[in-house]
Amino acid sequence: MSNHTHHHRHGFKKHSHDTGGSSIDYLAVTSGIRHWSPEFKVGFSLLLLVFCLFANHPIISVIIMLTAAFITLGLGKIPLGNYYSLLTIPFAFIIMGSLAVAVDFAKGPVGDWNLFLYWGYAYVTKKSLMNMGCLILKIFAAVSSMFIMTLSTPSFELFAVMKKAHCPQLIVELMHMIYRFIFILMSVQRNMRISAESRLGFCDFKTSCYSFGQIAGNLFIVSLKKANAYFDAMEARCYDGTFAFLEDESEKQPKLIVFAVIYFVVLIAIWWLVH
Amino acid sequence: MKRNEKRLFAILMTIACLFAIAPTANAMHIMEGYLPPVFCVAWGVICLPFLFFGFKKLSKSVEENRKSITMIAMSGAFIFVISSLKIPSVTGSCSHMTGTGLGAILFGPAAVSVLGLIVLIFQAILLAHGGLSSIGANTFSMAIAGPLVSWLIYKALKNTKVNKKVTIFLAAAIGDLFTYCVTSFQLALAYPSAQSGVAASAVKFLGIFATTQLPLAIIEGILTVIVMIALESYAGSELKAIKYAE
Repeated sequence: MSNHTHHHRHGFKKHSHDTGGSSIDYLAVTSGIRHWSPEFKVGFSLLLLVFCLFANHPIISVIIMLTAAFITLGLGKIPLGNYYSLLTIPFAFIIMGSLAVAVDFAKGPVGDWNLFLYWGYAYVTKKSLMNMGCLILKIFAAVSSMFIMTLSTPSFELFAVMKKAHCPQLIVELMHMIYRFIFILMSVQRNMRISAESRLGFCDFKTSCYSFGQIAGNLFIVSLKKANAYFDAMEARCYDGTFAFLEDESEKQPKLIVFAVIYFVVLIAIWWLVH
Repeated sequence: MKRNEKRLFAILMTIACLFAIAPTANAMHIMEGYLPPVFCVAWGVICLPFLFFGFKKLSKSVEENRKSITMIAMSGAFIFVISSLKIPSVTGSCSHMTGTGLGAILFGPAAVSVLGLIVLIFQAILLAHGGLSSIGANTFSMAIAGPLVSWLIYKALKNTKVNKKVTIFLAAAIGDLFTYCVTSFQLALAYPSAQSGVAASAVKFLGIFATTQLPLAIIEGILTVIVMIALESYAGSELKAIKYAE
C-alpha cells in the first residue's frame, strides 16, 4: 500500500490548489528535521503557538516569525518559494478580517481619519490601526509556528503522536483511513475531470455546474464501491478493528530539549521586558 | 458624463470592486492566530457535547457492523475532496464548496460533526486552511451549526409538498449562509467594535464576507441539487447502504 500512496502523493502534489503547487505533506517528508522526534516537534510548535496567542505582543510575534522561519527554512531546508506561497494562503482572510477590526462606523466625523459615506462616517483611529498591525503580525507568527510542525512531520507521524496523547482509538483509525482515501479519491476525481474537460464539459457556466454535479455524484458512488473493496482487502489481511503501524525509532535528543527550554526562557524574558 | 451615466458608472464600479474581492473564497476558515486564546478554548468546549454525541453514534454503528468503518472513512474523504474542488464560478475566481450541506443530507449531522472535525484538521495540516488554534470555532460553525441547520430544513421540508429540488437547494444554501453568519458572529465576539459593541461588529463582518459568501451559497445550493439528482438516479443501492432514505 505504501507504494500506492506514494504515487498518489505525487498526484496530489500536482493537483493541490491554493498551496502554490506543492503539498505540505510532500515537503514534510523531505524536511531536513524529519528525524527529530515527532513528539518534540508537535509539543514545541504547539507551545510556541499558545505562547504567541497569550503574549499577543508585536515584538514577540516578530521574534517567533523569524525563529520559526529559521527552523523551517534553515534547519528544515524547505525551499523559500514554497514557504512563501504557503504563508500567503491566509492573505485573503487577513485583509478582510483585519479591515473589519481597523475600520469602524459612526454617525458623526470622529476618529483620526474618516470618510463620509452618505449615511455616516467610516473612521479609523491610530489605536485601531495599531491593533490591526499587531493582529496581522500575530497571525503570521501563529501560522509560521504551526509550519514548524506541519512542514517537518508527515501526517502518519502526527497520527502516531495523537495516539500516544490518548486521542480516541476510533478517531485515530479514521484519520489513518481518511488520509489514504483522500489521495485515492483525488486521483479518481482528477481522471473524471480530465475526461469531462476533453468533452467540453466546462465550456460555460451551466455546463460546468452540470459536469461538477455529475463528477461529484459519480465520485460518491465510486468511493462507496471502493470502501467495500478496501474492507474486504483489510479483512483478508486479518483486520480486527485496529491498525498496527510500525514507527521509526526517533533518536532521543536531550540537546534539542535544552535548546527549546533556553529559547522559551529567552522569549518569556523578552516578553517580561517589553510588556 | 451625464448624471445618469455617472450613477451607472458608480454602480458598475461597486459591482466590479465586489467581484475583485471574490477570488478570496476559502476565507470563511478562521485563520490560525486570529482568535484570542479565551475564544479558542470556549468554542472548543461548546463543540464537545456535539462531538461526544457524534462520536458515540459513530462507534455504535462501527460496533454493529464493522464494515461501516471504511464507509465512514470514505465519507470523510469524500467531504474533504468535495470541499477542496474548485467550483464553477461566474467570475473565474477560485472558490470552493463547503460540502457541509451535502454531508448533512447524506450522512446526518451527528456523523458530520466528527467527520467535519477530522476534515478541518486535515485542511489545517495539509492545506494550511484554518488552523489548530481556531479549530474549535471552525468546527462549531462548519461542522456543527451549518450541517445541523441544513439537516433540520431538509427533514422539515422532506415530507411536505415542497419540491424536492427546492428542499435540497434551501437546505444547502441556508446551511451555508448560517455557517457564514455564525463565523461572522464568532469574529465579532472576539473583536467587538470599540464604540458600538458586538452587534455593530457583527454587521461589519457580515458585510465584508457577504461579498464572497452570498454568491457561493447560491452556487453551493445549485450544485448540491445536481449532485443529489445524480445520486438518486445512479446510486440507489449505495444511498440505502448509508441509510440515506431513513
